[in-house]
Amino acid sequence: MAESTEEVAVLVQRVVKDINNAFKRNPHIDEIGLIPCPEARYNRSPIVLVENKLGVESWCVKFLLPYVHNKLLLYRQRKQRLNKDELVDVTCTLLLLNPDFTTAWNVRKELILSGTLNPIKDLHLGKLALTKFPKSPETWIHRRWVLQQLIQENSLPTFVKKENLATFLTERVQRIVQEEIEVCGEAAGRYPSNYNAWSHRIWVLQHLAKLDIKILLDELSSTKHWASMHVSDHSGFHYRQFLLKSLISQTMTDSAVLEQSPLVSEHIPDLPKDDNEEDTSAEHHRVVDLSRLLEDEVELSTDLIDNYPGHETLWCHRRHVFYLQHHLNNKLPHSQMRLSPVDSNGGTLHDLNLSPAVTHMTQAMDVDGLNDSNKQGYSQETKRLKRTPAQDSLGIEMEHRFIEQILSTCRNVEQARFANAYRKWLVTLSQ
Amino acid sequence: MKLYSLSVLYKGDSKAILLKAAYDVSSFSFFQRSSVQEFMTFTSQLIVERSEKGSRASVKEQEYLCHVYVRNDGLAGVVIADNEYPSRVAFTLLEKVLDEFSKQVDKIDWPVGSPATIHYTALDSYLSRYQNPREADPMTKVQAELDETKIILHNTMESLLERGEKLDDLVSKSEVLGTQSKAFYKTARKQNSCCEIM
Repeated sequence: MAESTEEVAVLVQRVVKDINNAFKRNPHIDEIGLIPCPEARYNRSPIVLVENKLGVESWCVKFLLPYVHNKLLLYRQRKQRLNKDELVDVTCTLLLLNPDFTTAWNVRKELILSGTLNPIKDLHLGKLALTKFPKSPETWIHRRWVLQQLIQENSLPTFVKKENLATFLTERVQRIVQEEIEVCGEAAGRYPSNYNAWSHRIWVLQHLAKLDIKILLDELSSTKHWASMHVSDHSGFHYRQFLLKSLISQTMTDSAVLEQSPLVSEHIPDLPKDDNEEDTSAEHHRVVDLSRLLEDEVELSTDLIDNYPGHETLWCHRRHVFYLQHHLNNKLPHSQMRLSPVDSNGGTLHDLNLSPAVTHMTQAMDVDGLNDSNKQGYSQETKRLKRTPAQDSLGIEMEHRFIEQILSTCRNVEQARFANAYRKWLVTLSQ
Repeated sequence: MKLYSLSVLYKGDSKAILLKAAYDVSSFSFFQRSSVQEFMTFTSQLIVERSEKGSRASVKEQEYLCHVYVRNDGLAGVVIADNEYPSRVAFTLLEKVLDEFSKQVDKIDWPVGSPATIHYTALDSYLSRYQNPREADPMTKVQAELDETKIILHNTMESLLERGEKLDDLVSKSEVLGTQSKAFYKTARKQNSCCEIM
């Protein structure tokens, strides 16, 4: 049944209006989806609203998408005028169907910058789009742009200083951070090893939460169960590695802790909150028992490897954790591992005067620490490992025993393969 | 790691009869749930039909693993899980469920039963409890009964079919699948879900 141009136009106007009305009727819509429906039912709208879920029947997409896509392009080419409301509706429809259409997000950027569109709306729209397209790169990228706008434009500080000179994240920023964590968590659950979702989560901790130690610790404990139930999720475990690395770097910049050997850190009494004699660094005076955290992580790794044989992710994670333990044991005060907040990507871009485009580019994602100065010194790291004190050889001994135990009892071919590979890796460490 | 369905069936001479099933489709998109559930019924029946009595198998299909146990007396169970869920626990679950079922439901009812007529209510709670393999049962490291080497591994559903049989045909002919599910199957087959717009 061929649709004439007028029929298509009428249909599309109607669908766009139906979508708009659905949002008005139910501001709590929390999920979008496509309903496989090859044929239209006579005179019924393809937009279906059930509970808080918005569905689009698939038959209409082949008319709808090209039409609104074209309309937006014509606007962009200045061949067709669209008023602000029309732009919002058209881009909204487009992005719910294909959130990787960058032009549509860019039109919305312009609307936000001109004050016509509330940036919160884009966070909501993005969240919805992610329910159907949990990986969508453009959605995550736009989201970061919006968050930067929100943090910058109101000139609200990220930190407040309290009586004892320690600084804390403002409540507003904390709320934003928690919401972002929730969005990332949902998206991570909808697609296995969702690198884009986890990277965004890392970005949020770096640039919004400024690697606040309390949040790092909270994240470590709150993602433990999730990771245990997603033992093949590389990105989820990579996130835990990031948390541990950040905790090490954030704790190490506190000069008080640097003097101590990490092994006796548990004997440091808790610094009282009104201790004004301490240096006026901006960090929390929170004592983080790094070696305990790493030991706990090794224990988690052992537990998971034992109970869920044959998952490479778990063995990779173990390597990372073991490696971090080694860094900790070999830590010298002037260590290259040290990352002060100024070095990390977000720190110096705290100022407000950069244009959005520049900010967007310079706040590039530094998920894997490629910009870390210490990464260049890999061979130096391994050389340091050669000078392992007794502590380290004991650690390696224990790992070899663990491997033996696995190999002697496992019945899973993959598990044996991973255990052997891990053993080889350990051997190269001490060469 | 997730469990999506747990079903008890009877392997008749020509067909597999669904006796009781429990589903957890909460992790799927809202509008896909009914289709997904129908597919799991379809798949469970198909697997039991194509498995021998007295056998255990794991059938891989995309990111799902279907574990099946067909007893010598024709009673069968299918667990559909993801590929993280430990198969050992899945087979422990099947063994347990079928054992309990056979004690509660008369053998005479099996060949003619259906979910509406069969009185066995424990499946939902088993499915829910076993979502976390650790809380379900203490995992015995050495399970005396289960010889893992005897579990047949199929890398696709296709390998269960007869020569010349196509899954597409079985889907179109199926009475278990509604029109929406069949449409869903067609579009899913056509696309790489990674770049999916439709």
